[in-house]
Amino acid sequence: MKEAKEVLYGLYDDETVLLDAVRQANADHLDIEEVYSPFPVHGLDPLLGLSESRLHIAGFVYGALGTLTAFLFMTWVFTRDWPIIFGGKPYFSAPAFIPITFELTVLFASIGMVVSFYTVCGLGPGVTNPTLDDRITDDKFCIAFETNGYSNEEISKLQSFFSKTGASEVSSKVI
Amino acid sequence: MSAVVSPIREPLITGSKTYHQITEDIVSPTERVPNASWVAGFILSIATLSFGLFCIGYTIWVGIGTWDLNRTIGWGWDITNFVWWIGIGHAGTLISAILLLFRQKWRTGVNRAAEAMTIFAVMCAGLFPLIHMGRIWLAFFIFPYPNTRGPLWVNFNSPLLWDVFAISTYFTVSLLFWYTGLVPDFATVRDRAKGLRKNIYNFLSFGWTGKAKHWQRWESLSLILAGLATPLVLSVHTIVSFDFATSVIPGWHTTIFPPYFVAGAIFSGFAMVLTLMIITRKILKLEDYITVNHIESMNKVILLTGTIVGTAYLTELFIAWYSGYIYEQFAFYNRALGVYWWSYFGMMACNVLSPQIFWIKKYRRSIFITFFMSIFVNIGMWFERFVIIATTLARDYLPSSWSYYVPTWVEIGIYLGTFGLFMTLYLIFVRVAPVVAIAEVKSILKTSGDQYAQENARSNYDKMLNEKPHHEEHAH
Amino acid sequence: MNQFTFEGREKSVLIGGMILGLVCLVLSFFIDGSPHASEIHSRFWTNFLHNAVFFTGIAFVSLFAICAAISAYAGWYAVIKRIWEAYSLFLIVGLVMMTVIVIGVWGHFHHLYHWAGEGVTTVGSETYDAVIAGKSGFLNPTFYTVATIGFLSVFYFLFAVPIRRMSISEDKAGTADYAIHRKIKVYAAAFLPIAAFSSCALIWLWMMSIEPHWYSTMYAWYTTASWFVSALALTLLTIIYLKSRGFLVDVTDEHIHDLGKLLFAFSVFWTYLWFSQFMLIWYANVGEETTYFKTRRDEYPVLFFGNLIMNFGLPFLILMRNDTKRKFGTVGFAAALVLFGHWWDFFYMIKPGVIKELSHAEGAHGALPSVAGFDYPHLLELGIFIGFLSLFFYFVFNQLTKATLRPAGDPYYAESIHHHS
Repeated sequence: MKEAKEVLYGLYDDETVLLDAVRQANADHLDIEEVYSPFPVHGLDPLLGLSESRLHIAGFVYGALGTLTAFLFMTWVFTRDWPIIFGGKPYFSAPAFIPITFELTVLFASIGMVVSFYTVCGLGPGVTNPTLDDRITDDKFCIAFETNGYSNEEISKLQSFFSKTGASEVSSKVI
Repeated sequence: MSAVVSPIREPLITGSKTYHQITEDIVSPTERVPNASWVAGFILSIATLSFGLFCIGYTIWVGIGTWDLNRTIGWGWDITNFVWWIGIGHAGTLISAILLLFRQKWRTGVNRAAEAMTIFAVMCAGLFPLIHMGRIWLAFFIFPYPNTRGPLWVNFNSPLLWDVFAISTYFTVSLLFWYTGLVPDFATVRDRAKGLRKNIYNFLSFGWTGKAKHWQRWESLSLILAGLATPLVLSVHTIVSFDFATSVIPGWHTTIFPPYFVAGAIFSGFAMVLTLMIITRKILKLEDYITVNHIESMNKVILLTGTIVGTAYLTELFIAWYSGYIYEQFAFYNRALGVYWWSYFGMMACNVLSPQIFWIKKYRRSIFITFFMSIFVNIGMWFERFVIIATTLARDYLPSSWSYYVPTWVEIGIYLGTFGLFMTLYLIFVRVAPVVAIAEVKSILKTSGDQYAQENARSNYDKMLNEKPHHEEHAH
Repeated sequence: MNQFTFEGREKSVLIGGMILGLVCLVLSFFIDGSPHASEIHSRFWTNFLHNAVFFTGIAFVSLFAICAAISAYAGWYAVIKRIWEAYSLFLIVGLVMMTVIVIGVWGHFHHLYHWAGEGVTTVGSETYDAVIAGKSGFLNPTFYTVATIGFLSVFYFLFAVPIRRMSISEDKAGTADYAIHRKIKVYAAAFLPIAAFSSCALIWLWMMSIEPHWYSTMYAWYTTASWFVSALALTLLTIIYLKSRGFLVDVTDEHIHDLGKLLFAFSVFWTYLWFSQFMLIWYANVGEETTYFKTRRDEYPVLFFGNLIMNFGLPFLILMRNDTKRKFGTVGFAAALVLFGHWWDFFYMIKPGVIKELSHAEGAHGALPSVAGFDYPHLLELGIFIGFLSLFFYFVFNQLTKATLRPAGDPYYAESIHHHS
């Protein structure tokens, strides 16, 4: 069960203004809930303190799994289960196993990472996530604060933060 | 932070666009009722596809005997078309993957359509070996699964089976890569839509909202998929070339085949991208996003790969003489001066000679010439595969089985049908999905938009020339 | 610090290296167990050919890389372009070294090329070889000479020198309209196809013709890939050294990271070509072709497997992670390993072939004699490598003193400084 979340958010018109605003928020020790943007803004991750994505580690594990699956399976088939000589080559013909081993490595790594990506992001077919403003996927950059249980002073402090950093619009929403 | 861009770089987005205008220009074609030329094109494509389906049905009903293949020439138009379509299916992943790794920004204008094209081309390609097997209802035999035949496994040492793995992996990975790129753009379409349309695009967009963490993971995923797709795209045509090169047939067994097939695939793939993009940019009015600079860059790739392919042709020809092996020498004599001499000369003229006009800048930047050149190149690349397959088989070791091959109407019909399939899917794609990668184009606006490029970039550029790079913000 | 200074200490170390190399080279003239060593001194000549071809090739691919980068509008490389320019000028030394080989062909001082032997193409002669006679239109001393001296001269005098000259004049001529850059672009574009065709012929002549019966269409591309990886590795090592001396302040982790990625990618690409060539020949098993790999795998396993481990296995594992591509320690280690590995690759391509041809000329069949200095690089060979490497660096450092290391007149220079990977 998700609790209803009160959100106060400001929209910015440009990514450079957004980056300055995030820097200001860090300086003011404001706790940013989320930043939304229509495209990846470079230089934002370290400001928000986001740690580096670990997807590539997962990708390596999936890939290694694919390598082993393919190579060991073919080895088992041709040396144990049903040995056949093809073209005068030995049963265990490693050079001939390499193409399929490579393909399965890539296949396992790709499928594994894509599935992991959507799972950890909570995205997928049929998922509907609440959106704050329709223009966030168009040309607005958004900083959002969670305001559950905030006092009026705290809210007005956020309001002044938005006006100080050049937000073009400020609204609140319950999601 | 503002980006540092050399003032020598030409803009990639013209018309002084804002972010909103980019959205508007790219999404609006999906929001309008299709115009008459689209409808006419769609009807034509469906008609061609139907004829192709009829020919496929006829082949399956009557048997492969409806084709003019014979004991000597067991591979004809079917495998020629298969290799040709697979080759075309290389440009999309190449543009997205290799150019992403090499950070060629001009790829953002064309990568979406090129990837879509890849997927459709691979579908067309996959059709041919399936029908060629004869009993298509037993096609699942190509997969290794525990079965009641022994269990008898497939031959993992056969290049034909490597093809099964290569092409199915390639199709899957291309689809994942393409769709992952589309997800944020579908969210853009969703947020502009109402009613049922909104629901449909909400489903397609997987609930994307544009959170910073999601973008970070999305970029990481795109990069790794690109890193995986780059060797993958090389491996696919390499494995197709293994179908020929692992044999001991003179003219097929040559070690240069893998890289030479890959270069040829990129060559024909780029030509097909150009053919389609020149039409698409005109009809959807995307001239500001797919500029003459994009076309010029692609023409340079065509010139480069055409020259690589030319080097490979001459290498083969030279080494055939150098080998001192009479069968190898005959195979190449037969290619150039034998019964199918016209296809060899068609190949040389279209692939090696004609792209050389792109040394001249004026022609590289001419849309008219580019369009015709792109078609020439595709004809040339079709000839190349025909030369390799039919010419070689027609004159094998035994003169008593020498033969000649012409396709029947059924084979031609299936080939036309794949064009119908390809165009039908492409026309649907341009109606329902953003043809240009919206988010990616927006992310290069500040470096490649014409209001930020060239003379407008100079003041900032000169300032940055003497400034130290700052790293504290770029720990990725 | 933008002006490189060639310190006396560096000079003495490099001259010391060169003397060591020379001593080893001279020793290998006498300490030689190969057939007919007292007349044809194969150990000496193969060592000379091996190193001459290896370093000439690095100079050639550096020029090729400059031209490719300019033609592709690459911005990042502007901060390191002076290094590649200096490498490319080494072609003149390559020209001199290969001329020595040419003189040896005419004077029959060596027997590197069986096709150049007396009577090999004369019908009725005792040593007549019909297969080689069929190739004599290409494999003959005249064409060898014309191609070697002609192509290398074209590379050096018509491309390397003018491109370098224009690049230096760009430093002073300001940045107003980048007219010089446009002119360099024309040279760069013209060089690419010329280099593509002519380098194939050179590789066939210099190396593939050592085993004149054997042929592979992939050979020239494979060799070029090997050169290119070596050039990348050498570039990384040069950058790391120059930075340790306080030069190249504009070269950041980002550039190292990108070069590390290229080193990784092209090591994989080299492996791809290696595998394609090997697998196709192994699979088809045509006797004329298989002999190349069968000899090397069965009789030179150290060379065969060492090649794969050093040029694929280890660099792949080391450079797979992002952070190892950015750290000087790991990327420098990988670069040194790969540089040595590709030198080893050329050893593997040249040396067994010479022994095989010499033994076959004797009429011997079956297993080849194991000869010191041909089976794997011995101490003398390593000393010679150090000698040639010192010569290369002496030349390159000398060239680096002649122009600023910060070519700010390049239209991409600022973009290159602020490059992010």
